[in-house]
Amino acid sequence: MNTLFKDLLGVTTFISELSAGIKKLFVPKIAYSWQTLIYLSVFSWGISFFATPPIKDTIAFFGWLFLIAGTSWYTTDNPLRIPGTFMPVGAVITGFLLSVFAFGQQENGISSGTIVLWPTISALITAIPEFFEGSGTDAKAQIPKPEDRQKIIVLLASSMVISCWLQFYFVVNNWLDKYPSLLSDNFKRSAFVIRTELPTKISPNGALILKEIRPKIETQINKQPWSQVEKWLENANANLVNLSQKVIQDNRLKQKDEKNLWRIEPRISNPNSRNKDEYTLDILSIWTGPSSDPRGYYLKQSCQIRPIADSTSKSTTKKPDEKPIIAEIECGPVSKPIIGLPPAQR
Amino acid sequence: MLENWTLPRVLPIGAILFDFLFLLLAISIEASCFNTRLKFDKKTSVFYAISINLFSSVIGWVAFFIIEPILPIQLKSELINFIFFNNFKYSNTQTIIILAAFIIFFGTFIVKLFLLRGFSLLLNEEFWKKTEEPANTDRQNWRNIKRAKLISNNLVSTMLIANSLSYTAITFVLLIRSK
Repeated sequence: MNTLFKDLLGVTTFISELSAGIKKLFVPKIAYSWQTLIYLSVFSWGISFFATPPIKDTIAFFGWLFLIAGTSWYTTDNPLRIPGTFMPVGAVITGFLLSVFAFGQQENGISSGTIVLWPTISALITAIPEFFEGSGTDAKAQIPKPEDRQKIIVLLASSMVISCWLQFYFVVNNWLDKYPSLLSDNFKRSAFVIRTELPTKISPNGALILKEIRPKIETQINKQPWSQVEKWLENANANLVNLSQKVIQDNRLKQKDEKNLWRIEPRISNPNSRNKDEYTLDILSIWTGPSSDPRGYYLKQSCQIRPIADSTSKSTTKKPDEKPIIAEIECGPVSKPIIGLPPAQR
Repeated sequence: MLENWTLPRVLPIGAILFDFLFLLLAISIEASCFNTRLKFDKKTSVFYAISINLFSSVIGWVAFFIIEPILPIQLKSELINFIFFNNFKYSNTQTIIILAAFIIFFGTFIVKLFLLRGFSLLLNEEFWKKTEEPANTDRQNWRNIKRAKLISNNLVSTMLIANSLSYTAITFVLLIRSK
């Protein structure tokens, strides 16, 4: 019973201490304190909701300034340092706010620049007080002692190196955005990067190009006079280059840098030697970019082209055995990526 | 706020660890070089080695970030090939690598030399005070100049030796890794 009472007493004193602490935190004793600045920033944030753009931005700007000043004041009052360095945690928080304010974007708040420059800005904020003597209102500019200078230089340099590493992370991930077909490969041999997501079965964009080229080729060849088709086949290289450029201009590859690394090439052969007029057109999309196998890979789509007599044409003036000869094309599915060099061009 | 933030798809942990390892190697080698050749005490030479190497590494990274977007597509593709798949596709990349290695070596040497002089000035107490030079006699002046030249020559050769040694160690590590 006694212990329970003691516990209860302990809890009540704890609660009263807590409320006193909260009160102390939120209600400043004097007007000249960090809480005032935080309240000002909240106030300007609220006000900026009701304002129209030019004034809104100005108020928001001042809100940021109040917030940064308030946090930096609060965190220099009772510094809690990051283990191993003389950098206060407060400098890190203020640094984050400052870099969001300076390098963030209007829409989503944080840009890659914010995160990259965060350590450097935090280190600069840590270094600034070293250049002033005294505290509060009567600060005096001074040059820090040589040992302090050494400390500042090492801190600044190491946080700049960390900034560089963060930027490298963004550069590497940006490559995957610009060259999405890289994701269909495996990164096991890499000494420098680790794949974080599970390998998914993504087919490289070469398959997409081939799929979209197919209907265009069919309209160019199907039901066209045979002589014209033979001419097309003689000129197949240039024709395919034209077609693939059109396809790339139309689809989502247009904005990716990797579009320059796909090469579309034809391979024409006569599958059976008895019938000289039957052709196999292999359309290859060859990846010339980075790949885990140094020989690279390519994708293939085979099409059969053969002449047929046009039975649909309604030319009544001509005799039936002089029917015009037209072409017919039949395309198979796009293959899986084939590792190795593509077959030689004939 | 974070709607267009995708999860990281690759983490360049290996690259960061290698950079860290190279920095450690270079700092320890160069610190001992400064200690033996320039007769700095241990603490000062470690400080010089740390700050010089960290800053030259930062300058190197920044140069990389500036050059990387303007590389021609073939070189960029080779760079990605090396970092993601650890191989090279074209045979003429080797010449470019050798050229780049030369440029990097002499570039870092010059940058480190400037940093060394800059930091030695920065830490010097006299540099910050505006000193009124006492009117020296000609003879004393000449002696001072000669002494300064000697120190500067020593500085250059020490930096060259330190840089060569640390790059030798780094190349050695790279060779072991590629086996």
